Parts: sequence; structure tokens; C-alpha cells
Amino acid sequence: MAEEFEPTIVAFLCKWCSSAGSDLAGVSRMEYPPNVVPITVMCSGSVSPLYIFSAFNRGADGVLISGCHPGDCHYIKGNYYARRRIALVKKLLEYVGLEPERFQMSWVSAAEGTKYTQVIKDFVKELKPLGPQTKLRRNR
Amino acid sequence: MAKLEELKNEVKRILKEGKVKYAIGYERDTNGLLPKPAFIKKTEEADKLIWEPTCVYNLSRFLVDEKRKMAKEKNPDQRPIGLIIKGCDSRAVVVLLQEKFIKRSDVYLIGVSCENSGVVDERKLQKKLKGKKAEKIEFGEKENFVVTTSEGKIEIPASEILAERCLECKASVPVISDVLLGEKTKRKADNPFKSLERVESMSAEERWAFWKAELDKCIRCYACRSVCPMCYCDECVADTINFAVTADTTAEEKAQKIKWLEKSPVASENFVYHMVRAIHLAGRCIDCGECERVCPLDIPLRFLNKYLEKEAQELFGYEPGFDPEQPSLVACFKDEDPQDFIR
Repeated sequence: MAEEFEPTIVAFLCKWCSSAGSDLAGVSRMEYPPNVVPITVMCSGSVSPLYIFSAFNRGADGVLISGCHPGDCHYIKGNYYARRRIALVKKLLEYVGLEPERFQMSWVSAAEGTKYTQVIKDFVKELKPLGPQTKLRRNR
Repeated sequence: MAKLEELKNEVKRILKEGKVKYAIGYERDTNGLLPKPAFIKKTEEADKLIWEPTCVYNLSRFLVDEKRKMAKEKNPDQRPIGLIIKGCDSRAVVVLLQEKFIKRSDVYLIGVSCENSGVVDERKLQKKLKGKKAEKIEFGEKENFVVTTSEGKIEIPASEILAERCLECKASVPVISDVLLGEKTKRKADNPFKSLERVESMSAEERWAFWKAELDKCIRCYACRSVCPMCYCDECVADTINFAVTADTTAEEKAQKIKWLEKSPVASENFVYHMVRAIHLAGRCIDCGECERVCPLDIPLRFLNKYLEKEAQELFGYEPGFDPEQPSLVACFKDEDPQDFIR
């Protein structure tokens, strides 16, 4: 029997909330799928759309952007900017024909280790039936 | 036509008074139907100017070039440039003003109205004339174009040979100008996003197949970037060669220079390039359609930019190119921005 497909998720986690949230999940010994490649960024608002396209280009099966809840941003309004920009990126990716499930955004605070594990579990579950992402992957 | 005389006189006047260093408009080209940009430095040259439905180019791009040129000069002439603008070009100038790329005092805007029609699409015209060669096109009565061919004059309803973008135009009259010539009533496009329906009605898989086929053709000549008045960055993420390598550049620095995308024109890289360009133009593209016109492979680039324009309007109520005071799309936010897609 062929091995089950394991998706690779590139997760851009904001330093102040989501990254700490994933840390909490770790030190609390919560179990969640090991498919995530976490990248800590200073703010979800600092994620350039280019990072996202580039991640898909280099073979990510899914990309997650995670930041503080609205109103909780360390830089006061970074996540509001992110919300606007990511909405446009998501629309664009769907417009060129990428499956909408492959690109997700979430709000995870530093205290929400459980929510973080749930987000990852759901994401992996949604990605598995889709199979590998080949549309935007570099083909050489 | 009386209006062309007005235009010439206005250009002559501002040149004579020394108000501007030169004026940019359109003049007849020796080859083909489409005109070429005219740089009028002396009053007597102003007689060359034309204004016809064939004046498709967006001349605001020259403001970008002029700014670059001035930055290199030791004592640049600080007087403004006279610029002849259509409705769509005026919106491009508004975006440049909004981004503080140029100052209002850098340009003297001579607005010309599209007389409730617009500019022609050369391909549609050729199809319509069935092999006859058009020599001249003029604005006629009742939104008709008067086409002069070798076999005499024909009147064609404007809607049949108008460029696609003109059918969806939001500003048939310049939104800002110092002088405005011609018809001043605005024509309302009933559905400014009508052409998009063709792509939007497809399923996700069909859309993917459509874009894959289109973007696979791209040879990455960057003509779309060169012609775009909004693509004015000194360094573009799409280039990896413009990293300044000097004698002091270490091997490490060279190795660590991030290559966001390869130069090779394969589909995967073309997707990154065109998506990045679309995102960078979100809330800035004013749909002058120049990228699509210059594309040697006829990639429908307007569909990408137009789609984000539509989304910006639907999601955030944002319309680019009307108010120079409004903050740009991704540099502002509202509390009620949609977030139902976020977990």
C-alpha cells in the first residue's frame, strides 16, 4: 500500500502571539501533526505577499498566516493591515485556480495553545484529500 | 474641429508664457494608424498635435521618466510639464499624486474629454473594416466614429470598435485638470466589471487551465512593467541582476542575495511574477489597459488587475484614482473589514 500523503505547511507565525501560542502547545505537551514548518515573523503585517507566492513556488502544500487577535497587535495595527492584504492575496490565489483550502489565516493568541493545535489539525485534515500542490510548484 | 484648435492654442499659450518646460501630447506617426507621443518644446511645433480616438497611449508614464531624468541633472528645470490627459490617464496622475511620487506643481494638466466614447481597439477596427486600411479616425456625432479609408469615409458606432476598457470606463472626463477641453458630461458604464464575468463564471479547474495556458506563453519581456505608470520602483523584486555588485561585495553577500523568482520563462515562475505584479497594482491600477496592449503574446493581463480592482471595491469600498487625499488601499484599514475567512 502506498504511504499516506503528508502535506507540508509553511506557517508564518507572529512573534508576539501565534509563535508564543505554538510554544505553549509545545511545552504543554499537546499533540499535533508534525507537518508544519514554522517561520517566526515580527508581525503578521510584515508578511509580504511575495513570501506566500514564494512558499507555494518552492513546494509548500499549504500556507498559514497567523497573528494576534484584532486589537491585540503588539504594533497596535499590524494585523489590521495584514487582514486587508491577506484577503486580497487569498482572492487572487483562488482566482488563478488554486484550491482555497491551501491558504489559510488564523488569529492565535499567546494563551491559545489548544486553538493552535486545532488549527493545524484541521488544516492537515483538509489538505490530505487534495494531494500534493503541483500548480504553483517550481517544475524543474 | 474646433476642439483641436483649442488644444493647440492652449499648448502654444503655456509654452509662450514659459509656464511649462515642454508639453507631451500625440502627433501623427509616419507608419500606421496609431499616433506617437509628441514632445513639444517650441510654440510652432504645437501645430503637430492631434487628438483622435487613436490616441491610446497613457502619457502619464513619462512623468516617471522625467522624475528619473531630473534626479540625475545638476540644475534641473523646475517648471512643470504640460501633459495632455484622457480620463483614464488623469486617474493615473491622481494615484501618482496620492503616493506623493509627484507634486501637483510638477504637472500642468490639459484634460481632453473622450466625447462620451473612448479610444479604438486596433484589432476590432481591422476586423470591422475587413481588410481595408484606415487612414484616419475622428470623433463624429452621436457617439459615432468617422473612419477615413482609401475608399472614402464610413461612420461606425463607437461601441463596436471601442477598446474593451473604454466600454467599462469609470471616468470618460478627466477627474483632475488645469484646463478641460471638450464634452464635460460623464458617461456611466452600466457594469464596470462586465468583461470579468467570462473568467469568473469558470470553475476553479477551468480557471487554472485558462491561466496556465495564458501565462505559459509569457516570455518575460517585461513590456507590461515598462509601460505601466505605476511600476516605478527603482529596484523590482522580479529582477535579480540589479543587485549592485561592487569591488567590496563579498562572496557571501552575493550568495545571500534572495532570489524570489527565477528569470526563466517557465509557467511556475511566470505565475509568481504576474501574481506579484497584480498584488502590487491592487488599489493602484486604474485600468488604462496599456499592459495588455503592449503584450506581444496577448496575455489578458487586464483580467488579473481588474479582478483585484473589483475585489477592492466589493470588500473595502475602495476606488483608486479619484481622490489624491485618500490613503492607499493596503496602507489603511477599517474596523469592519471582512474577516470571515480567518479562523
